[in-house]
Amino acid sequence: MDDDEAIRRSLAGDLSAYEALVARYSALAHRTAAMLGAGDEAEDVVQEAFVKAFRHLSSFRRDAPFRPWLLRIVANETHNLTRSRGRRSELAVRLTATADVTAPDDPAGSAVATDRRARLLEAVRHLPERERQAVVCRYFLQLSEAETAQVLDWPLGTVKSTTHRGLARLREEVGNELA
Amino acid sequence: MSSHDPFDDLTAELTALADFLDVPNPPPDDVAATVRARLEPTPATPEASRRPPAQRRRRARWRIVTAIVLVVIAITAATPQGRAAVRAILHYASIELRLSDSTPRPVTTPTPLPGEHSVAPADLAKQVKFPIKTPTALGTPERATVSDNGRVASMFWPGGIRLDQFAGTPSPYFFKTLGPPWPEDVQVAGVTAWWLGGSHPLGYIKREDGTSVPLRQAEPTLIWQSGTTGYRLEGAGTKEHAAEIAASLR
Repeated sequence: MDDDEAIRRSLAGDLSAYEALVARYSALAHRTAAMLGAGDEAEDVVQEAFVKAFRHLSSFRRDAPFRPWLLRIVANETHNLTRSRGRRSELAVRLTATADVTAPDDPAGSAVATDRRARLLEAVRHLPERERQAVVCRYFLQLSEAETAQVLDWPLGTVKSTTHRGLARLREEVGNELA
Repeated sequence: MSSHDPFDDLTAELTALADFLDVPNPPPDDVAATVRARLEPTPATPEASRRPPAQRRRRARWRIVTAIVLVVIAITAATPQGRAAVRAILHYASIELRLSDSTPRPVTTPTPLPGEHSVAPADLAKQVKFPIKTPTALGTPERATVSDNGRVASMFWPGGIRLDQFAGTPSPYFFKTLGPPWPEDVQVAGVTAWWLGGSHPLGYIKREDGTSVPLRQAEPTLIWQSGTTGYRLEGAGTKEHAAEIAASLR
């Protein structure tokens, strides 16, 4: 059952079809909520977003892709539940503690790589908010420029220029050397 | 070099970094089952089935209420009188509330919303990207406008009553700079609305670059959010009248 079929059946009231759709997008929705600042409330945010998405499914344009439409609702819910408390949204992620898979025979090299990743993540964390949102959507969530524009509700040109400014700032912060 | 994006290596590094980021991810089937349970109509015990989402909503609502109340207490308790400084920023219903310790300078030159243009009230729903509602307490508006590429719909009634409706997004559309009197919470059809009881500077936040554009001095306003749509009702006079109009949206 592809997205279109699942949406068609959900609109007809088939909750099993919607359940399948939720299961399919659950991980991405949690990732999006956490990365846009939902923190320990990501699960609440995602649940609320899926409930709202179902209730507004009739306003979804069937010829458009489902993913950015859903993620925009997730982004919006993240904002509602967290920013309403007046705190700056934070990039709520951690580097995995698992052993480095890239260089098992080279502990020194892998320590350097781990350090490099930690520095890059810190630099992303400290970007101005809009630049961070753009960089997170484009590279951590791997959305296209058009999808990012839809999820954040920005003009496409703004996504391009904001991403560019964010990358320039990151380059300045962490320098040129590659891990 | 010329055909190369100067950030290629950095973007590759960022994309690789994404694989090392740990985020909470509960089992998708559990999430799907929970969501389904919240959507399931169970006619036999309708109350029981509705309880969990209601509790959740209440919790979310109380978080917001508590946040605003705490911020207001902090500002009033800890502030020397004098120049107006923004002490806290809250986001609610796609509106940014900039709470200041004293009355902010009024906006004297009114500016329309970006791209604001008149439309026939009957055509309003076709011109925007979200569902439009009309307050039955006021009936058909005298005139209507659409602004910012269909993001904001406004309705006007005689006596200076104005209702703005806007699709909820992660970034706010409006900002309001508020000194005392502080926002008061009001229940409107099961959601918490906020009554801003003083006249206050209203402005717009541009989608392009996030800059703030002052619009005008707004009269006391009720703001609230229902579903994914944000609302602001201005010119109703009293909190009670505003809440009555808000509750009649269909």
